[in-house]
Amino acid sequence: MFKEKNGVDTTVGHLAQLFRKESPMKIGKMKVGLAVAALLGGALVMQPSRAADSSLVIGSVLDIDKTDPHSATNFATVRGLGLVYGSLIEIGAKNAIKGGLASSWIFGKDGTQLTLNLRKGVKFHDGTAFDAEDAKASLERILDTKTGAAARANIATITSITAKGRQLILKMSIPNAPILAALEGVNMAMLSKEDIAAGRIGGSNKPNGTGPYKFISWEPTQSVKLQANPDYFMGEPNIKNVTIRVIPNEASILSALNAGTIGMGIITDPLIARQVKSNLKTFKTPALAYYVLQFNTKVAPLNDKNVRLAIQCAIDRQELVNTALLGEGQITGPITSPAYRSDASARPCPKQDLARAKEYLTAAGKSSGVSFKTLVTSTGWATSVAMAQNLKAQLAKANITMDLDIVEQATYVPRWLAADFVATLANNGGRVDPDTMYTRYFTSTGNLNKVATYSSSTLDANFVKGKASGKVTERKSAYIAISKELEDNAIWVWLATPYEYRVATKKLRGFSALANGSLLQLRSATLG
Amino acid sequence: MRFFHRIATVLTTLFGISIFVFIVLRVIPGDTITSSLGIETGVLTPEQVQSLREYYGIDKPLIGQYLSWITSLLSGDLGFSYSTGAPVWELTKPALLVTTQLALFGTILGVLMGVAIGMFSARKPGSARDFAGQFFGLLALAIPGFVLSTTIVTVMANRFQYFPNGYEYMTPLEDLSMNLQQMLFPSLVLGIAVAAPVMRTTRSALLETVDKDFVRTAYGKGVKPRIVRLRHVLRNSLIPIVTMTGIQFGYLLGGAVIVEKIFALPGMGRQILDAINKREYATVQSSIMVFAILFVTINIVTDWVYRKVDPRIK
Repeated sequence: MFKEKNGVDTTVGHLAQLFRKESPMKIGKMKVGLAVAALLGGALVMQPSRAADSSLVIGSVLDIDKTDPHSATNFATVRGLGLVYGSLIEIGAKNAIKGGLASSWIFGKDGTQLTLNLRKGVKFHDGTAFDAEDAKASLERILDTKTGAAARANIATITSITAKGRQLILKMSIPNAPILAALEGVNMAMLSKEDIAAGRIGGSNKPNGTGPYKFISWEPTQSVKLQANPDYFMGEPNIKNVTIRVIPNEASILSALNAGTIGMGIITDPLIARQVKSNLKTFKTPALAYYVLQFNTKVAPLNDKNVRLAIQCAIDRQELVNTALLGEGQITGPITSPAYRSDASARPCPKQDLARAKEYLTAAGKSSGVSFKTLVTSTGWATSVAMAQNLKAQLAKANITMDLDIVEQATYVPRWLAADFVATLANNGGRVDPDTMYTRYFTSTGNLNKVATYSSSTLDANFVKGKASGKVTERKSAYIAISKELEDNAIWVWLATPYEYRVATKKLRGFSALANGSLLQLRSATLG
Repeated sequence: MRFFHRIATVLTTLFGISIFVFIVLRVIPGDTITSSLGIETGVLTPEQVQSLREYYGIDKPLIGQYLSWITSLLSGDLGFSYSTGAPVWELTKPALLVTTQLALFGTILGVLMGVAIGMFSARKPGSARDFAGQFFGLLALAIPGFVLSTTIVTVMANRFQYFPNGYEYMTPLEDLSMNLQQMLFPSLVLGIAVAAPVMRTTRSALLETVDKDFVRTAYGKGVKPRIVRLRHVLRNSLIPIVTMTGIQFGYLLGGAVIVEKIFALPGMGRQILDAINKREYATVQSSIMVFAILFVTINIVTDWVYRKVDPRIK
């Protein structure tokens, strides 16, 4: 554009001649000034080019924090690696269990044996074929205590694993139908037996899965780049490149969507979700996760059932949803798994009842009021402090003083794990199956029973009953009984489920959001 | 002798910082395991927890952990990030360049704005222009960086569909134009924060110098007022301005966290915050030490600039 003459930019030179009466030093300064102005002006005016239609950039506040799928717990890691790894079972539309790398399965007559028939023609990203030996090695890695696998407890009833041709046979210590749902997800990812044997999982090793996208690169705190897998068993995805870019502020994610610099954003803050305008598409699904006021039933004053019931009756859940969650949530009971969802109207005081709250307090000998401290995370989720303050204000009407102990998430987690609280406001993850959701909390041998602070022989019996059958109708009665026992005793006060939001450009078609937050449906989506 | 005294002071400061950072990180609740696995840590058996403690090197006594880290640091090894599987230096190097560029641009913009407005104000104290200058100073001090950043991002994105920081971050060598676009608004936000104290310092220093004998002499000799203001008054007021600029540059290095977060810049502030949340001890400790070394270096450079500005200072 600019012709150079004797190394001098002629355009700038011409302008300088206009000021030829000025001293040479002044002309030099002008040149520098003009060059800087041109650079800055050009930078501002020039819009960066839009990404190609076969590429999707997803904005996420959180970065992935590891590449080992078996020990992944961070939402962003589970979401990102979910596009890279495949599992034997998948969760489909309406949270139905469907085949993943296993095309079909059959339970033995007594429910202690599960035979999975593996899909043909599945390949790892490095080109090697996936077979039953890989599946066996993967499950054994999860069961190995040294792995630190997040979902080990869900399949701990497996006593032996046999690879036979295209079949994988699992034997279990007790009848366990929910194990099918437990085989779903990133924490149950199928890895190559060679990678496992060579210790090439996690750390700086490139993930090698069977999923719709190949892992290309990860720049910590910046982005993860994925590329469509041409050998994917459902066919190569239409969106050829997916970049998960870390934009550590949800307002900035929405701005980037409005500016068209990204094609999809992961939003959790209802305040931001409500600002999405009609130029974008919002995929909104009720999450499986739930907000709950957890009690430590071992310490005063919450070791008294009547005090707990008084708190339950003093809370107006709808007000909580309308104010702290800006209307973006659904009231829930203990079980959020869609097929077994608890009936929130069946609990004592389904609506706020201050008179009954007072009666319970009187029965507890605390008619003058009661106070307790609640552990709250300030950074765990967007509405945590607002929810705590709303609950505090509501309980004050029933003469119940809820003092808030607000700490940041990294401090909150160890205290939660040690049950170092009288009460705590928590956002606990849900599952499509209530067995994997609550066995760890409310069975006497559950890993998190120390945190739940409650177990009983009837609960243990109902959880065993729930495992025994593969039919939803037969299992439902067990989970209704579990819900009833938990709510009649106000072991915790279940509040509401939030929504999962995926905000995207209107060009994105064929994508559907799943309640577990997975982005797997991108494999069948198109842009344009 | 003076040189050795200075070196000893610097080394003692850095040693103190290393101990302070090490202890503070261990005092705050949680560790790498609970930060990595969250509430799922509860499903681990004690054997699994012990195995992970060994893996992360947090099973050793504290003194052993400190000596191991400081020995590695002295040999140029900043440690290893377990979550990313990369050496800390590989993460720190690009992040340090981002933050340094940001702080440098912010300081340059801040000094240009601050000195210009300070001179503008000091020219007629008590006048409307002085009031306007001081009002800018107060406003710039009062508006929090996150409010200004969010406003700029929202207005530019919604009104002009312009948000270059939504694209992948580019270094100046990869794409200078994109880099300047991505740096412009964050630097401006930081620059405004720097401009306020620099403006106030400039104004006071100029008002103090303008009554000095040598200024009256210069006017008496018939030197043009503009030359007097620039070469005599401003030059002799530079010491407090340089001091303030040095302090602000140091603060910007550490204080750019919010701006880096809102403008999605992968700088040191974000890296350290992220590592604290993950309790990645090596990353936090080594990154802070790099910051500390930089801060100390800036102080030394500021002292050197003093001597250049005023040769009477030894």
